[in-house]
Amino acid sequence: MNDKRRTVITGMGALSALGATTHDLWSGLLDNRSGVRRVPRLVESGITVTTGGEVDAVSPDNVDRDHEIANRAIEDALIEAKRDAAECGFIWSTGLDTFQMGPGGFVHRSAGRCFSNLSSSFSGPRRMIAAACASGTQAIGEAFRLIQNGHVDACVAGGSSVMLTPFYLIGFAGLQAVAIDNGDNPSLACRPFDKRRKGFALADGAGAMVLETLAGARQRGARVLAEVIGFGMSQDAFDLNRPCDDGAGAELCMRRALADAALTSEQIDAVNAHATATYSGDLAEAAALRKLFANRWCEVPVSGSKGAIGHAMAAAGVLEAIVAAQTCATGVVPPTVNLRDVDEGCELDHVIAEPRDVNAQTVLSVSFGMGGQNAAIVLKRVS
Amino acid sequence: MVYLVAGAQRGDLRAVRESSPEIWRQVRRYNQPVQLALAAAEEVISFAEDPATAAVISLAPCQPGSADLYSWGHVVTAGMSAGTLGNLRMNPTQTLHAVDNLALSAFAIAHKNQSYCLGLGGAAGQAWGALEAVQERLNAGLEEEAILIAGDQDAATDGAPGLGVALLFSVRPKPFESTGRVVRLVSITRTRERTRDVVPHAANGLAAFVSVVEAGRASYVASYVVPPQHTDGLSGVTIDLEIS
Repeated sequence: MNDKRRTVITGMGALSALGATTHDLWSGLLDNRSGVRRVPRLVESGITVTTGGEVDAVSPDNVDRDHEIANRAIEDALIEAKRDAAECGFIWSTGLDTFQMGPGGFVHRSAGRCFSNLSSSFSGPRRMIAAACASGTQAIGEAFRLIQNGHVDACVAGGSSVMLTPFYLIGFAGLQAVAIDNGDNPSLACRPFDKRRKGFALADGAGAMVLETLAGARQRGARVLAEVIGFGMSQDAFDLNRPCDDGAGAELCMRRALADAALTSEQIDAVNAHATATYSGDLAEAAALRKLFANRWCEVPVSGSKGAIGHAMAAAGVLEAIVAAQTCATGVVPPTVNLRDVDEGCELDHVIAEPRDVNAQTVLSVSFGMGGQNAAIVLKRVS
Repeated sequence: MVYLVAGAQRGDLRAVRESSPEIWRQVRRYNQPVQLALAAAEEVISFAEDPATAAVISLAPCQPGSADLYSWGHVVTAGMSAGTLGNLRMNPTQTLHAVDNLALSAFAIAHKNQSYCLGLGGAAGQAWGALEAVQERLNAGLEEEAILIAGDQDAATDGAPGLGVALLFSVRPKPFESTGRVVRLVSITRTRERTRDVVPHAANGLAAFVSVVEAGRASYVASYVVPPQHTDGLSGVTIDLEIS
């Protein structure tokens, strides 16, 4: 560990259903507020799922929406870090191809082409991560590893996703993964770990982080937001459509992240959970966290962000890591929005209804992707 | 040290179906790029010491999806025009065809592999980032073997040709299976070279690289300059090899 370079976050950018800045995201969560709502263009389309996490900052009629959403988050992160793209690597996920609604039907936009356009101003390495819902977390982890091992001094890492269209909503409804409208208040669509959970609310979004060496950040006089101290990944190697019931694959990646950080689970102060609000996903995640924390499982505050912003797929992991970084900086764990009655099997020390100030300094943030791909990072406050 | 141990290319699904029914049973529900990548992987994995502990690095196709998935896109467009979207139901198998890390996960399930796994997306030139990742992992001693798999197609329509490629690497100097020569991956260097000649394809660049390795008969040190059409359009890539 000693010969590896310490890696810190010096800039962040977020576009989510709660707004167009990291401040909007954080303050919305602290207010226990959901940005998930009924989306007029989905209502007009006549499909059974009309709620989602819409990003208002870029018009849905903008054919460059995939590029614009990503670029705004990236620019915000670079501005905060006072960094130029030309001096950074770029580890990013643009998720799946987008099929936006246009006047003549769907407009197909290649995720690969979007990545190529976004990456053109960066020096390299330029790696496009494809790890389904774990992509954002894996992008941060890969960037962390490249910096830690001396392959690059600074990276922009993160992900973006524009999938809030009938094309994908009908598909996810077929997999029984999204919450189908049933007259509820739309903002209650996504209820992680709750007895009444019915799946996630699909969302658009983007999250970006600037990562660099601690030594470089100090030399530049940059403000350090948090340190990345561990990264782990795993495959469930179990099933393409569902996690193993005991969360074994999830637990493995979390243990690898802790080992990488040279920590035990007793040194984790809080968790930003994947909290996807699917029936089997939440059960497996809760089981994995209980095994990880053993007899401390009811003492470690757990919070999930998808009740507030929906599931932004390739962006989800980095938006949640941004929340985890804010927790490191402030010590405050935000509530899991829409969680009221914890389901049997989902028992953890959930933060419900209002934020909890526990002076959290070391936070585990996890993501679990379709197909069984898992990623976890550990963030720590830098004094 | 990183050594190339085996390489395989598969471009004909009919041949997979007829000559390898067991592999076909495993891959038949996936889309063409994934089927071909996995079929190629099955060929090289027989040379691996332990497929369950090898690092797995997978490239998503630049032309993702399938004819079925794109037909679905037309159905949705028609449904939108007719106001009947609410009646549409999607076949869950076709949903799989949209997933970017499908080959990686399917490989992991087939071989009970829970090791390091990296899925890279369908942008031009990602193959060389994947090769760099192989080098980073094995040179750091994190794994002893790594498998790199890629599958792609010229278009996601019926009948478009596809290609799957798999490469197996080891930290031990084993002879490359098709030539009997030991092939050491010495270095991968990049230079700033912009080009507009890029043809995005996850597998073609790796296939061309393997063909050059297979043609090498004498002992020599070789520099393979990646042709511009196989790069990301932003940097030139040179791979130095030592063949003995």
